[in-house]
Amino acid sequence: MDLAELPFLREALFELVLLAIAGGTLGAWVVLRRLAFFSHAAGSATFPGLVIADASGVSPVLAGLAVALGYAGGVERAGRGGRDHSEGTALLLVAALAAGVILASDVFESGAAVDRLLFGTLLGLGAADLAVSAAVAVIAVVAAVALGRTWSAIGFDPDGARALGLPAGRADLVLLGLVAVAAVAAIPAVGALLVTAVYVLPAAAARLLTTSIRGLVACALALALGEGLVGLYLAYWLDLPPGPPVAALGASVCLATAALTRRAAT
Amino acid sequence: MSSPAIAVEGLAAGYGATAVLEDVTFTAMGGQSICVLGPNGGGKTTLFRALLGELEPLAGRVAVSGRPAYMAQTERTRLDFPVTALDVAVMGTLADGRWWLPARRLDRDAALAALERVGLAEHAGVRFGELSGGQRQRALLARALVQDAQVLLLDEPLSGVDPASATLIAGVFDELREDGRTLLVASHDVESARSFDSVLCLNRRQVGFGAPAATLDRATLQATYGHELIVLEGGAGAVTVQHHEHGHHD
Repeated sequence: MDLAELPFLREALFELVLLAIAGGTLGAWVVLRRLAFFSHAAGSATFPGLVIADASGVSPVLAGLAVALGYAGGVERAGRGGRDHSEGTALLLVAALAAGVILASDVFESGAAVDRLLFGTLLGLGAADLAVSAAVAVIAVVAAVALGRTWSAIGFDPDGARALGLPAGRADLVLLGLVAVAAVAAIPAVGALLVTAVYVLPAAAARLLTTSIRGLVACALALALGEGLVGLYLAYWLDLPPGPPVAALGASVCLATAALTRRAAT
Repeated sequence: MSSPAIAVEGLAAGYGATAVLEDVTFTAMGGQSICVLGPNGGGKTTLFRALLGELEPLAGRVAVSGRPAYMAQTERTRLDFPVTALDVAVMGTLADGRWWLPARRLDRDAALAALERVGLAEHAGVRFGELSGGQRQRALLARALVQDAQVLLLDEPLSGVDPASATLIAGVFDELREDGRTLLVASHDVESARSFDSVLCLNRRQVGFGAPAATLDRATLQATYGHELIVLEGGAGAVTVQHHEHGHHD
């Protein structure tokens, strides 16, 4: 069956293509700069914002963006002075999740709408969601082309990058902010808890198969696209939200790639 | 008389309020090469970071002609990072301040010329992690050369290199000196220090500074290296026993 024949699936299809562009481009840097945990956390940390948006009628994208950008700023600040970002990521994630649970269960008694935002939906993807994803895809590509060599220099040799006079903090803040915004853009389709499926898993598999940054971006983009399309098809036939099948597929491809490349190396 | 390329007077530097290096005073003119000797933790990298402007002096003053080019130790680099020797050399062009823009053709041309200069042009497309130790040092030297800086700070550029690479790197140092550049080279090798114009001996403070023949006497070396120094029989030379500690600022 041609998925594009159904209007709501056509929009979901278009959404996943846009996410694959952002996912392939930014995912490469997420993996190279070891930001996988941050990328997962940025999506999950939007939970309190989504609960408040659901209860107050505010756009979930706007609320998610506000929380995710604040989260990225907090993590960047915690990582200043060469400290690892992961401790700040974990600390702020726990705080955000705790706030979200309290708001959802005790304050607003949130229901199905929040569940959809946590796990994604095939239905109800509107023009606004597509516009946000398209904007994120364009910004991700432009930023990666413009800032790629700076992110590369910082990731390859932080001491050498500092000595070159690079504003490592600002460049990192742009990358963290972009990943956070991209995570929010993926929420309507794959859900806040599973944005890793788009931004980490395809690039993690591609990292095992490629030897250059360009190759990594191209391979991650192709895998994100393929996994998104097949995942969407599975979601439709299995009557599931799209997030879980896309994530399961991404994890399977990543594990299979790891196993095959390890076998080839021995 | 021209002004010095580097002028350091009464420098104390460290991390936070604690000084790990004190009482450093020296000057370096254009075309002069200085070997910075000292044990791990002696303050060589701290001195470089102060010269780069990354550490504010806790006391004294530092003046450097322009932004120095810095060649970090290869241990600080990520060997798994998918960049080629050319990519690494191109990174040197980021020192021009255009960090928010992609590399231009002239940036690549400058990087290729630098790789040619260090004898690595035919390895331009090889991944950094797949290069030999000496080739990696040369790729990092190419990144420093691309910056076209008046002052070059080189952190153990001869550490772990093969003889062919060492000869090539020494040849580049000579060219740079002839070109009027100032070189500060951190090293553990007391014998190779004798080929520099001056030596600066550090052990958390300045132990000695001057021409190698006058400075590298037994007392100065003992004060610099302490128990890590082994004086060869007959006083013909001295070697140091070094324990590298990665991820540690000395």
